[in-house]
Amino acid sequence: MFGSNQTSPVAEYAATGEIERVYHEVRQTLRVRGINLIFRTWAGHKGLLPILWDTVRPNAETMMFEQSSDQIRAAAVELAKPLGDLGAKQQTSLGPSQAFQLHEILKLYHYINPKLLLIASAVRQGLDGELSIKRYSATEPAERIAPGVPAEMAALEMEDENPSDEQLQTLFSDITETLSLRSINSDYRSLALWPNYLDAVWRNLKPKVQSPAYTAAADHLRERSRRLASELPYPVPLSRTRLEGEGIDFDETLRSCETFEQLLPGLILNIAMCLRDWQPDDALLQSPFPATAISPNSQNDERPEFTGGAK
Amino acid sequence: MNWRDYQALQKVTNLGDRFVSYVDEGSGNNTDDDPVILLHGIPVWGYLWHQVLPALATHHRTLIPDLLGFGFSDRRDCFDRSITCQAEMIDQWMEKLGIAQAAFVAHDIGGGVALRLATLFPHRVSRLCVMNTVCYDSWPIELMLQFGHPGAKSLASASKTITSLGVALKSGFATSPNSEVMDGLLAPYHTEVGKLSLIRNAAALNTNQTTEITDRLHRIEVPTLVLWGEDDKFQLAKYGKRLATDIPGAQWEPIANARHFVMLDQPTPVATHLQSFLSATTAAVNSV
Repeated sequence: MFGSNQTSPVAEYAATGEIERVYHEVRQTLRVRGINLIFRTWAGHKGLLPILWDTVRPNAETMMFEQSSDQIRAAAVELAKPLGDLGAKQQTSLGPSQAFQLHEILKLYHYINPKLLLIASAVRQGLDGELSIKRYSATEPAERIAPGVPAEMAALEMEDENPSDEQLQTLFSDITETLSLRSINSDYRSLALWPNYLDAVWRNLKPKVQSPAYTAAADHLRERSRRLASELPYPVPLSRTRLEGEGIDFDETLRSCETFEQLLPGLILNIAMCLRDWQPDDALLQSPFPATAISPNSQNDERPEFTGGAK
Repeated sequence: MNWRDYQALQKVTNLGDRFVSYVDEGSGNNTDDDPVILLHGIPVWGYLWHQVLPALATHHRTLIPDLLGFGFSDRRDCFDRSITCQAEMIDQWMEKLGIAQAAFVAHDIGGGVALRLATLFPHRVSRLCVMNTVCYDSWPIELMLQFGHPGAKSLASASKTITSLGVALKSGFATSPNSEVMDGLLAPYHTEVGKLSLIRNAAALNTNQTTEITDRLHRIEVPTLVLWGEDDKFQLAKYGKRLATDIPGAQWEPIANARHFVMLDQPTPVATHLQSFLSATTAAVNSV
């Protein structure tokens, strides 16, 4: 993911110090129970994740960010329709508990992936110097969402990146090779907890992801995300000078953002296609975990506070 | 039956904002029979019972819930997993399924849950069989105490942690279990979420929750069988004998050539003893 200087992503259990602090804030601010690959990857580069997160966090806390993510999600559902039904659920024999838990995982990714795309777009445009202008004055703060993970949200659970099961290894290899991935994404690792389902998903998805219609739909989502990111209320002041001053490779960072921005629209479409086997389109247009607003003037004491992790 | 086939049998029910996965097989020979509920212990899940399930389900409606935080029940890091809470969960779960009363067959901390039900929710328990159960101050064992340290989550990846646990658990068997069974027993915990859940489960082990019911054991009035792998190094047979003494009329039945995981060491004798006990006591319960 990070070219020649790639380091290993930092797993949640292995996070310490500033990385642990950021992971906690990501979970609370983005309202998700786990840490996705984009953050784990950035955490693998010394000093990078705290800078990127602290810069993008003011926007991620806003209702506008939530609503922009909702728009991307809804657009993905609309764009998924002409790509056709996946039918993976119908092709997989799942027990009632398995089906329930799989559906909950799909809902989780349906919720979080648009937020990750928006962050990738905001950071990339920030690095390009496009989002350095302050849009809101201090007396006019943007409306914020109440932080914290929705009580009904599933755990972000996933199979090991290097599974012991040979069939799963083969499946992961096919996915990474087909999509030119350096690491297998969290989405596929989560669906791999039900290997037969992932197999059916990929069997049906593979021809679609290589079609011009799919590429066009992903491009549309990416453009939508870029436009929405450019309209977020707070500046994202990232620059070559700033990053290099912290000893961070600016070009590598830019490439990573571009990679995630390239990758995430497809993942969002994939989840939308999966979920169309489970729920009617009208239901999928709504956020699975709607956020509530808190007073724009709420002070820092309502923000997620990290108190642990002194290691 | 491999663990994935077993998992596919599981149904699910919501209890508030938590969910419980469970197997519900068989229908019983007659409508007067109450269901049989099998409870597993730590660090396993309902799959523990897969070798005795077919025999039991032939004659009884047989239910096997995964306790909260275990197996494929809710494993999120946001609730208590103590045996006190597990007993309350079983009470709610039975209510949700419309089961007024059941025969309980329970192992390890599942036995602690069943003993709490029998003493504190006695209307839920028609008959009781405990196997190599935690009781009195017999627990937590050192292995689980170390595993339950909150810092254990940062020591190693899930795969390494669960592999080590699997090696340690082998001393709970009289003979080496086959790899399919061993893998299956720990399968739900090989993810980071699973590992953390198991650590939380271990952290919730609390001897007070069995010592506090010691003085109530003599009030258990239902037919009781204490079935014990007599070579168990985790839960010593002396505790089983003491239970059989303290619970009025309890029957003590040691199983030879069996350690902690008695239903896997000796599935046929265990199934036979259970079937005999359940058949004999069905008549007794129905005649009251």
